[in-house]
Amino acid sequence: MVLCSSVFSTVCRSQNCINRSIAFQTLAVQLRCHRFYATAPKRFYRKTGVIHSNGNYEITLDQRKLKTPQGNPFIVHNEPLALAVAAEWDAQKEKIQRSTMHLTALCSTVIDNPTKQSKFDLVQSLMNFLETDTVLFHSEEEDELYDLQKKEWSPIIDWFCQRYEVSIRPSRVIEGPVVSEEIKATISRHLLSYNIWAIHGFAFGIDAIKSLILTLCCADRYINIKTAVLLSRLEEEYQTGRWGRVEWAHDISQMETQARLAAAILFIHLNSSSYVVQAKQ
Amino acid sequence: MSSKSVIPVLRSLLSEYRQASSYTKLQESPLVSFILQQYKKYKVTDQQLCKAQEEMNFIAESYLCYLKSQRCYEEKWKMYHAKGERSVRDTADLVGFKLPHDPK
Repeated sequence: MVLCSSVFSTVCRSQNCINRSIAFQTLAVQLRCHRFYATAPKRFYRKTGVIHSNGNYEITLDQRKLKTPQGNPFIVHNEPLALAVAAEWDAQKEKIQRSTMHLTALCSTVIDNPTKQSKFDLVQSLMNFLETDTVLFHSEEEDELYDLQKKEWSPIIDWFCQRYEVSIRPSRVIEGPVVSEEIKATISRHLLSYNIWAIHGFAFGIDAIKSLILTLCCADRYINIKTAVLLSRLEEEYQTGRWGRVEWAHDISQMETQARLAAAILFIHLNSSSYVVQAKQ
Repeated sequence: MSSKSVIPVLRSLLSEYRQASSYTKLQESPLVSFILQQYKKYKVTDQQLCKAQEEMNFIAESYLCYLKSQRCYEEKWKMYHAKGERSVRDTADLVGFKLPHDPK
């Protein structure tokens, strides 16, 4: 601010009264337009590690223990997740880019729970995605795109309906498909059988690809992550096939979505599989 | 699931991890020793058939996808983010032209 005011005073001294107010306005606009991003912190540690006690795993950065943004101890309950988080911190080069550390972010979200949502609330909010699921909206205008969507999405919807014993039909009109309360109850019952960690994983994955059906298919290992992301971006892929692909927009967003969904699916699997082994009492 | 489809995933997983991690020797990394130990545990041999292998392979593939997408994203981000327009020289290099004052 010292610099700003000195610049401002030099500007003011050289101008008359009207010019002065204009100069002030321009300066104000310039200041307003500049966005002050927090600079990424430097990598302050050399080695990362995992320590184990009483079935809990903690991550160490040199001698320090990792903490969550709210200052809680960063404790996870299975070894592969702890190792993956430690590897994520180890993968940071000179600067720590927290926005790309999805596994760490997911763990911190579960531990801190900043939105103070219970597992039940979270599942209920995820159910809202079912009615507006990406794969349930088929193109109204272009028949070529509609055929493609039908070809690619129909097997997914059929498999999903068979797996969860529900009947959902895609829609070609703007109102969207009708999903009954029974279907929502069935799916939410299934989701509630997971623990809170896995539910946060589901929330992250569904948010990344905007599709509950594709995320569930992926969590059930029916399709892999690349396919799920491709299917969620089907219209974009179709349009880029026609109009051209721009690396700094389409490829970047595809890679980011893939990383996000992969993190979510890993998180779900690691928190719900046999890795969570409990010793006999 | 045969070892033919499992081993390539392990190979590319290790190669991605090598690029991401700061370890010079992969054997020293606890993650790598954990992964190898898991692969041994769920190995299909003549004597045993392990159904969990398919699940493990899916997790390995997911982790591989995570590391790979992360790396590609960062490469593209570094190449394009906040770079503005290309300079005249960059554009000329892109299409294989020379600038007027360049040597023939």
